[in-house]
Amino acid sequence: MTATERITITLLWAIGALVFVVLYGPAFMVVLLSFFDINREGIDWGSFGFQWYARLGDNPQMLAALGNTLLVGACAVVLATALALGLAYYMKTGVRRGRAFLEFVIFLPFVLPAIITGISLLIAFREVGLERSLVTVTIGHVVLILAIIYRMVMIRLESLEDSQIEASLDLGANGWQTFLHVVLPQLRSALVTSGLLAFTLSFDETLVTFFLVGGDATLPIRLWAMMRVGFTPEVNALVSIVLVVTITLAVLGAMSLKETMARR
Amino acid sequence: MTDLSLAASGAGPMIAGAPSPHRRQLRRIALRLAVYGLPVLLILVPLATFLVYSFWTTVDGQVVQTFTLANYIDFLAKPVYRGVFIGTLWLASIVAATSLIFGYIIAYLVWRLEGRLRYLLLLLSVIPLAMNYIVKIYAMRNILGYNGFLNWLLVHTGILDTPSKLFIFNQTAVMITMAVIYLPYAILPIFLSLERISPSLLAASADLGGRPGQTFRNVVLPLSLPGSIVGALFVMVLALGDYLTPQMVGGNQGFTFGRAIWSQFGMAFNWPFGAALAVVLLLSVVLIILVAAAISRHARVK
Repeated sequence: MTATERITITLLWAIGALVFVVLYGPAFMVVLLSFFDINREGIDWGSFGFQWYARLGDNPQMLAALGNTLLVGACAVVLATALALGLAYYMKTGVRRGRAFLEFVIFLPFVLPAIITGISLLIAFREVGLERSLVTVTIGHVVLILAIIYRMVMIRLESLEDSQIEASLDLGANGWQTFLHVVLPQLRSALVTSGLLAFTLSFDETLVTFFLVGGDATLPIRLWAMMRVGFTPEVNALVSIVLVVTITLAVLGAMSLKETMARR
Repeated sequence: MTDLSLAASGAGPMIAGAPSPHRRQLRRIALRLAVYGLPVLLILVPLATFLVYSFWTTVDGQVVQTFTLANYIDFLAKPVYRGVFIGTLWLASIVAATSLIFGYIIAYLVWRLEGRLRYLLLLLSVIPLAMNYIVKIYAMRNILGYNGFLNWLLVHTGILDTPSKLFIFNQTAVMITMAVIYLPYAILPIFLSLERISPSLLAASADLGGRPGQTFRNVVLPLSLPGSIVGALFVMVLALGDYLTPQMVGGNQGFTFGRAIWSQFGMAFNWPFGAALAVVLLLSVVLIILVAAAISRHARVK
């Protein structure tokens, strides 16, 4: 390496370090501030403690929002998994015309800006007379996470030998039995991984949810409402919990993804 | 590939109580309807409804269902909306360019590393993707605000005498926040485009006497840039459609096209006009995606 190259690389590392500070700094600050009281002079450094976390338990609106988020996420993941599994298995077992079309359709919400997906669902729900509620939010989340689950199930299905299915059918099992006893067990890790990732997405989803949400807010929507009022350590505490939960989910997802890929 | 479902139905007679051929036919049609119908019903029909809506109008808050181009003419005729649209395109381009530059630096550094450190740093650069979007806006507001960390730092180091309002509730604040939020979306595609470069090419360049700097300029950069630009265009699409970041850190000055659309569904309650604006957004996004597809196809042929 010449001197110029060495200087360039050092400079790049300096910029890289700065970028990481900028990426993580905001979250780090929020977590830090959640442990202290804030008064007129600024942060009261002597007030370290978990008092703001404790106070969260007394906030029924927030607990309700958390409950809604978990409910929507669980329902959306179950529904989307069932749908994606059916679609992928159908496409896999046979030469299906229209597979490219189907994949194009289910990947659309993934590619289009969230605001477009949100608006089109909002308008469609209004046209059929479906009131905005947790049901419309759940349907929106199903539409959003369908592609991810479908893709991961499909990757696993494609690596499956056709001969296994043929053997099962030759031995007298019907299509349903073959699916249940031969195919499904081998899809377990792909389902767990995609379920985790899809749940993480649903847990965070805000831009589509905003158009579909009725009286019952999900956690991001509730957070947004609280954020407009101002910054309190209570919000910081909630934000810290949300951060820890989503990062844990994502790391779990990434770990099981690695495992899923390794087992192929 | 053989048609396994046909094979399955062929095996049917072996099972006691198998359905008659007629019922089997019916069941197959029902299955096909469900497979193609459900995604169409959930995704395509709403999109079509929204497209149709953009050709309707409202009179006294009531939707009038007659075909008209009035919304589109309105958009083209009102300099306010045109201005916001062009301003937002510009903003999203800057965010995309920033993500390309800093994303490339991070991806390049990660790519050069080996072993555990490489995966650790890669993981560190994608974890922010899992951080809640609202949380990130909130944190950025905390930092950029009048009483925020940035002002505290600048005042304490003596660069400023009093806190500045320059960093919040304007277009710059929107740009900075979007760049921070969307940067991780660029890092991964850029890293993948670097990963696709064959190690033998790097070895060949070194064998021919190329210094690291020359190899980077003549081999790595030309091969990875098209894929990286596709990653940046992806960020541009995200930035174009965002309506909450501008609202939360942009204040009155940070009005973007996404906010214009959102306000038609909120305060203004003119859904057909909002839908028309969203169609304009959709068309720009499709155009960007086509450009991205052309770039990545061009890169692959090489």
